[in-house]
Amino acid sequence: MRWIGLTAAALIGLPGGAASQLAPAEILRRIDANMTINSAIARARMIITYRSGDVRSLEFRSWSEGTDRSFLEFTAPARDAGSRFLRLEDNMWIFLPTVGKSVRIQGHMLRQGMMGSDFSYGDASERPSMVEDYDAVVSGRDSVGGRPALVLDLTAKRDDLAYPGRKIWVDAERFIPLREERFAKSGKLLKTATLGDVRRVGERWYPFSVELDDALQRETSTRVEFLDLDLGARVPSDVFTLRHLERAR
Amino acid sequence: MSEARGRVPLLGLAWRNARRHGRRTLLSASAIAVAVAASIVGLALAGGMLGTLLESFARLETGHVRVRAAGYGEREAFLPVHLNVSSVEGRVAALRLVDGVKAVLPRIRASVLVDGAESNRPALLLGVDIEAERGYLDPAAITGSGTTPRPGEAEALVGVGLARRLGVEVGDTIVLLGQTAYRSLGGIRLVVSGLADSGIPSWDDVVAVLPLDQAQRLLDLSDGATEIVVLLRDPDDAAAEIEPIRGALGPTDALEVRTWLEQGPLIRTLQSARGGYSVVFLLLMGMAGLVIVNTMLMTVMERAQEHGVQSALGMRKGDLLRLIVTEGAVIGLLGAVAGAVVGTVVAVTLGRIGIDASQAARTVAAPFQGVIHPVWSWWHSVLGVVVGVATAALATLYPAWRLRRLRPAEALRS
Repeated sequence: MRWIGLTAAALIGLPGGAASQLAPAEILRRIDANMTINSAIARARMIITYRSGDVRSLEFRSWSEGTDRSFLEFTAPARDAGSRFLRLEDNMWIFLPTVGKSVRIQGHMLRQGMMGSDFSYGDASERPSMVEDYDAVVSGRDSVGGRPALVLDLTAKRDDLAYPGRKIWVDAERFIPLREERFAKSGKLLKTATLGDVRRVGERWYPFSVELDDALQRETSTRVEFLDLDLGARVPSDVFTLRHLERAR
Repeated sequence: MSEARGRVPLLGLAWRNARRHGRRTLLSASAIAVAVAASIVGLALAGGMLGTLLESFARLETGHVRVRAAGYGEREAFLPVHLNVSSVEGRVAALRLVDGVKAVLPRIRASVLVDGAESNRPALLLGVDIEAERGYLDPAAITGSGTTPRPGEAEALVGVGLARRLGVEVGDTIVLLGQTAYRSLGGIRLVVSGLADSGIPSWDDVVAVLPLDQAQRLLDLSDGATEIVVLLRDPDDAAAEIEPIRGALGPTDALEVRTWLEQGPLIRTLQSARGGYSVVFLLLMGMAGLVIVNTMLMTVMERAQEHGVQSALGMRKGDLLRLIVTEGAVIGLLGAVAGAVVGTVVAVTLGRIGIDASQAARTVAAPFQGVIHPVWSWWHSVLGVVVGVATAALATLYPAWRLRRLRPAEALRS
């Protein structure tokens, strides 16, 4: 697969510089190097825009460690404050103050929009390693938001991934996905993500905003903006426990 | 000349001929009797099935008129709670004063996740006014075990199939999660007060019934509901009642008020099917008619000599044709009356005792409770007799036409 990608790149002519010399797998590895977070503490705003023109804004704090552990707590507006989510590997639990106990969510619920947004609970718990989970071919070049981009077609190596196909537009110099289309096995477009506000954080580039559109429902689009992001922050290990989920303040 | 011959006593001759050929008369009359009886029972059965379905749909789903938020109908499949009817208490009170209104039922429908002992499952939440629903959705009547949830108490009635999948029983605690009216995530903890066993599998596998106030609490719908269902004394008045109902609702810009016939194609299809089953009736009579054509053809052709003599004695061809048709009508009358008596007795008896179709109902994804009560009406029997006689008379036209073409001499030789 790798040589097919290289051949395609040679035929269609890729932007100059490092990217055009790289094999697709190496591009994925560099994306992972930018996007994979060992640990982070963040504060973010989720803005949901409805087809009717209504806009709903929520704020949350999040703690994450590696690709397998994350904790998220909504802090605003008041009616959503205290709603918390814990993800440990492929398992996810919800805690709502009105319920007073944690609920593990499975199956159909994982496909529902988190707090009514375009991000499904499955999206929130999905942390693929691009290089380990997908085969890639470079299928073209493009420009996104004024940035030169390589277009990569990704095919899942495993059957249990949420998105068997992806098409990503990767910044050819910074190796950050700028736009992404996620597909079902049938080839049907499921979601479109646009990443922006890319900033330099230490040795890496990182997008501080993501806009997601669920292609199966045109009611909403959702934008998440990081207000504070501390990459590499030390996260106490007891954050990622059910006890903390039910007792966090 | 014709006056000199006088009028042929067709009815007397026809009756005499019918009696002379008793076996054939019996055979033909039996075919008509069976067809008429089957048609009367079939009409009553079809009416009962359609009536049960329509009544169930109106009572459980559409009402005769349903009030929802504007735009809800388009997104109905998603059960959007953010599209809701506000100030429900006042609106329900005003609607109950409208002339011709039998019941006004505020309801909440929402898609929720129910977390039980062993797993969580998607479910259909029905938030209802437990008392007002007596005789309609009737939570008390469908409570198979345990008790009906009480207003003001954190209790739920869970479908038996859903409870089995969740691994919960009466007295256990469940958690419901769902999108609120403000599109955020709401949750509520409830005790399973009872298990619903409505006999409608498509319900019992997915439904959780809550008191209206508990559903409002879960979904952040203070004094709101996703619909107000209005049932009328006379369902045929639905279109005429729309304006008085709109008037009672106050400003209706943000509401859609629809009769049951305007709510999707299913009800319209069922309604139009009411007329459609007369086609089945006509087909049955047509089949009986073919039997009569056959027997009358034999009867007429075997009696060709007799008819030849009648012609030779001066009976006009027109009179001969009328005689044979009258003979068919007489046989038809005998069979149709007998069939109508048998069909009426069977239809009325089945209407009283009902037909248990619960096994078939388990495969139907509709609010159909499994016992069909055929609905007999006097016009089924009258129609049966009229169509039976007419069919028999019409069935003789071909044999009569064949005979009319025979010349008396040929008829006498045959």
